Amino acid sequence: MVTKDEMMKIAILSKLFVAEEDMDKLTKDMSEIISFADTINNASDEGTDFDNINNLSNVLREDCVVPSLDREQILANAKDSDDGCFLVKNIMK
Amino acid sequence: MKYELVAGFETHVELATNTKIFCSCTTQFGGEPNTHCCPICIGLPGTLPKLNARVVEYAIRAGLATNCEIAEISKMDRKNYCYPDLPKAYQISQYDMPLCKNGFIQLSNGRKIRILRIHIEEDAGKLVHSHGSTLVDYNRGGVPLIEIVTEPDFRSVDEAKEYVERLQLIMRYIGVSDAKMQEGSMRCDVNISVRPEGSDKLGTRTEIKNMNSITFIAKAMEYEFNRQVDLIESGEKVIQETLRYDDVSNTTSSMRGKEDANDYRYFRDPDLVTIHVSGERIEEIRTSLPELPDKKLERYINDLELPEKDAQLLVKYKKVADFFEKAINGIKTPKTAANFIIGQIFRYVENENEKEAFNIKVSAESLNELIKLLDNGKIRMNLAKTTLDKMLETGQKPSELLSESDMAGLDENTFLSLCQQAVDANPKAVADFKNGKEKAIKSIVGFVMKNSRGKADAVAAENKIKEIISQ
Repeated sequence: MVTKDEMMKIAILSKLFVAEEDMDKLTKDMSEIISFADTINNASDEGTDFDNINNLSNVLREDCVVPSLDREQILANAKDSDDGCFLVKNIMK
Repeated sequence: MKYELVAGFETHVELATNTKIFCSCTTQFGGEPNTHCCPICIGLPGTLPKLNARVVEYAIRAGLATNCEIAEISKMDRKNYCYPDLPKAYQISQYDMPLCKNGFIQLSNGRKIRILRIHIEEDAGKLVHSHGSTLVDYNRGGVPLIEIVTEPDFRSVDEAKEYVERLQLIMRYIGVSDAKMQEGSMRCDVNISVRPEGSDKLGTRTEIKNMNSITFIAKAMEYEFNRQVDLIESGEKVIQETLRYDDVSNTTSSMRGKEDANDYRYFRDPDLVTIHVSGERIEEIRTSLPELPDKKLERYINDLELPEKDAQLLVKYKKVADFFEKAINGIKTPKTAANFIIGQIFRYVENENEKEAFNIKVSAESLNELIKLLDNGKIRMNLAKTTLDKMLETGQKPSELLSESDMAGLDENTFLSLCQQAVDANPKAVADFKNGKEKAIKSIVGFVMKNSRGKADAVAAENKIKEIISQ
């Protein structure tokens, strides 16, 4: 079960605004989602190495520099930019 | 009531690799904003990070040099938090399976500071706040870091200072980082709490973030210790929170309430596969490590018979120690080389940064040549000293500065006649000496040294002069 307080905490961490009147429904939905996810615990995991599903390890790269992208390309999808930097809303209060 | 300080350190050290941890962009410091970036390090969807092999190697070096166990199996995790310096809204780090754990660094008072873990992770970008908005530069985003976490084992500010200095030196010796605090390649967070002396319970701790100078660390710790003691004495409670230290006002202020580890929703990064390091590879790296500062200091004191203070001054700067070792190659008197470096050469590299860089005009080979001339009795100390000064000014070798006659030494007859002349030419000093003024002999010896152009042996001259006077 998820409590309303926990929901509020998650909303704050996710930087989401949740209206008070939606809270009961959302809490109920979240509880159902989590209990559904719990059903996975009933599945058998015998012989499965979850840390290494593809049997891959040490996919490593040599330490050699490759030229970076042009700044215009880096900033191409930015909502806003200034002085060669991404521009975001002030985060300092 | 008396209170005791309890502190622990989290130190971020930027690794001196050529490229970032998960992409091939350069790690070079500086550069126009967002010019060392690619789709991977600005976190665009659909990109695949790939771990830099050298990051793993460097982190293992750091672990071995701080007496850690190296994990043969480790993995990368996502640490989720939402802040614009992190384009993906998570940092790729290591959570429950760090590469290194259970190490220690021993302090000069014998106490061991236990190292809980060393893990690898990516650095965040840089934020500049201006005119009501925030500018983001991702050049630093993705630069490889190791985070070295200690147990709360510090009991004084002095211990903390020594630990940071030692750690810095070790990182430089093993070549994994330049560990320059002022440039941000080494930064410390300090957890601090206080408790009544003798108690073994830990008090509520605060964390001071991101300090980039040893002086600030010391001041911030002192301030925070006193602030917490004052709170407790006045019946208030210390609140667990993250603080920022302001070096201008010398105070700490609140940044944010401490988030629980759970709030970061750590989980394995599915894009990055398991890291396996074989026991052989670990041993290979162990044998490739250079002599560490502690061992070097011990050897300088015990084997080379240097005074502890001199040994410390040489070991403190890696380049100086390297220079010293080259300079004493095949030499019977390492102490002479130490004296030349500390007494004369250090005058040309006055501050810490200059000593660290150790850019001087004299090569270790030249100093070696000079000391050999001295050891073989070709020249005397006075002449060696003035020659070294000239070498430091001009960069010339001893062989270029000293003539055949300089190195010919002084024959016995010339020496005897010079001593006699010195006595004859200084009747006042002779009289003073006879009347018990011991120091008067120095000016008579000085006459011999000057007229032999430093070739005479000052001790032999003094003995000879005393002999002549007493006749």
